[in-house]
Amino acid sequence: MRSLRQRAILGGLVWAAIIVAIGAAALFYFFDALTQRRFDTALLDRYVQVVAALGNSGGDAELMDSYLTDPAYQRPYSGRYWQVDGAFDATLASRSLFDSLLTAMPDEGTEPQFWTGAGPEGPVRGISRTVTLDDGTAWMVTVAESLAGLEAERKEIRQSLLITFALIGALGVVGAVIQTSAVLRPLNKLRGDVAHRWDGGGAIDPADYPEEVSPLVADINTLLQRNRQIVDRGRRQAADLAHALKTPSAILRNELEDLAARSVDISEARNALDRVDAQLMRSLARIRAQNSGASAHLLTDLEKSVARMVRLFRSLPGADRKTITTYMASGLLVPMDAQDLEEILGNLVDNAAKWAARVVRISAGATENETWIAVSDDGPGIPEADRREALRSGGRLDTSAPGTGLGLAIAADLVQAYGGTITLGQADGLGGLDVRVTIPARHGLGTASGSDL
Amino acid sequence: MRILIAEDEFVLCDQIRRALTAEGLAVDVAHDGEEAAFRGGSEPYDMIILDIGLPAKDGLSVLKEWRAGNVTTPVLILTARDGWSDRVDGLDAGADDYLSKPFHMAELSARVRALLRRRAGVTSPVFRKDAVEFDTRSGRVIRDGFPVELTSQEIAVLSYLFHNAGRFVSRTELSDHIYEYDGDRDSNTIAVFVTRLRKKLGPDFIQTVRGRGYMIDGA
Repeated sequence: MRSLRQRAILGGLVWAAIIVAIGAAALFYFFDALTQRRFDTALLDRYVQVVAALGNSGGDAELMDSYLTDPAYQRPYSGRYWQVDGAFDATLASRSLFDSLLTAMPDEGTEPQFWTGAGPEGPVRGISRTVTLDDGTAWMVTVAESLAGLEAERKEIRQSLLITFALIGALGVVGAVIQTSAVLRPLNKLRGDVAHRWDGGGAIDPADYPEEVSPLVADINTLLQRNRQIVDRGRRQAADLAHALKTPSAILRNELEDLAARSVDISEARNALDRVDAQLMRSLARIRAQNSGASAHLLTDLEKSVARMVRLFRSLPGADRKTITTYMASGLLVPMDAQDLEEILGNLVDNAAKWAARVVRISAGATENETWIAVSDDGPGIPEADRREALRSGGRLDTSAPGTGLGLAIAADLVQAYGGTITLGQADGLGGLDVRVTIPARHGLGTASGSDL
Repeated sequence: MRILIAEDEFVLCDQIRRALTAEGLAVDVAHDGEEAAFRGGSEPYDMIILDIGLPAKDGLSVLKEWRAGNVTTPVLILTARDGWSDRVDGLDAGADDYLSKPFHMAELSARVRALLRRRAGVTSPVFRKDAVEFDTRSGRVIRDGFPVELTSQEIAVLSYLFHNAGRFVSRTELSDHIYEYDGDRDSNTIAVFVTRLRKKLGPDFIQTVRGRGYMIDGA
């Protein structure tokens, strides 16, 4: 769908074009009529002059010339002409007509008749009427003027009008752009506000918005709230289930160990219980992944979550024997729920710390399309052939170290819930396992900062 | 050493209590958050095992209350929530260690011993002084290469003095840390235990200064 800005600009352009077209047509008509009227008035004045000259000269060509002194009448084809057709086929005419004559026009009615016709050099507009002198002679008096001047004047007026209207139209478009920006500013602000509130900030205050937008703000608040409730409820149910199952499992295990202390062989039972526990942990992790914040559009500060995990591992017993280093840009925001991100980080760092000889390295970065997080160690690594298995459900490769062997698989479930990828490789420089997670950027929300609408 | 277990599941609580009592620890229990908050805030425990999912008041709130009230007792959090975020939240609330259910009792015991030692500034689970070795894992005492038979009270006194080696411990303090809450406390019996320990481990093994108490020096 076309953006609001594009629509407003397009609408402004169309509207400006319509206004300019109608305005120009109206003004053209008005100015055409005005110039025509002025032209005709001047023509009538000259007609009256010619009639007066005819009356005073009594039809004498020499005298006519001396009465009609306009130089334009003397210059051949000047565009301004007079012609008098008298009785007995006598025709007097201005010198400007040179070797041609105006075609006599019909003489009807008592008012002088305007006409348009061919002249010596292009079309002319003229006025003709038969006048009867005191001596009783009748003369057809014709005055004409080339339309070239009138057309040139009209063309000039139209051009200046067009330039003016183009300026007005351009101003209209600029105005539309400015107005659109002003109108859309609350929506841009809303977008920013929503992006910052996915992860549990308070409600957005509808009073901060124009009355047209505030109902939308109220609706968004409701949606944000409901989204958080859905995620929270899913988590609570998983936590309740975990509590309901894990405590009895712990009791069973302790009873078994009591029996073992009394030399009862419990190896079968212990194995069975181990399987139950592993399955339970995996299933709970799956439920968690299904209830992940993947649908909640949260943004989490990666640096903060990594710092929390590093703090946790540094405080655990035995942590002083291993070094955790981090390499990442600050301000990286991952489109994930904080708990889910920390669950992934925790499992990866836990696994790395378990196998590392001395060093665990956490690095992260972002491209336009994704955020990547890599956790590597200087431990034995995983042979290429076994890497798939390590990400599979409960694929425990080595039973020599304590743990359920589910960490990588749990992390993989969560990463997949976010549409990301998890790949195992060999760590550059360190030589151990390198686990690389990518989380796709959520377009439309932005990874690091909001972009313009 | 005296510890508090705050766990609402009676059977599990009892299992932990039995396991730790067998290691010579004096164990009190609390079954809800209110009781745990009160006990932990008023009794001088050496360590506390705290379940997060307690009724009446949740474990994290109890822990925050203690820390706000300057209760510095090491706390191990026990929980069915095994999310990594929960662990950091627990540590941020002031926990010293974290164990998620279901757990192996041996691991819990080891974590408890480690926390008790950490407070004493000792990393090895075996205390040594002169020719005497005290293994906190088994409660066994060896003198000159031969095992020494000690009663559970004698072990409790020895353990507390070893964990607080280098400073004088009063008779009242000793009885606070070796007897359970509703145990039969008689500080006079402390003198009897100390006398017996001297007899079994050597006359100069425990120093006594009148008015200040007992001390194992240079452990």
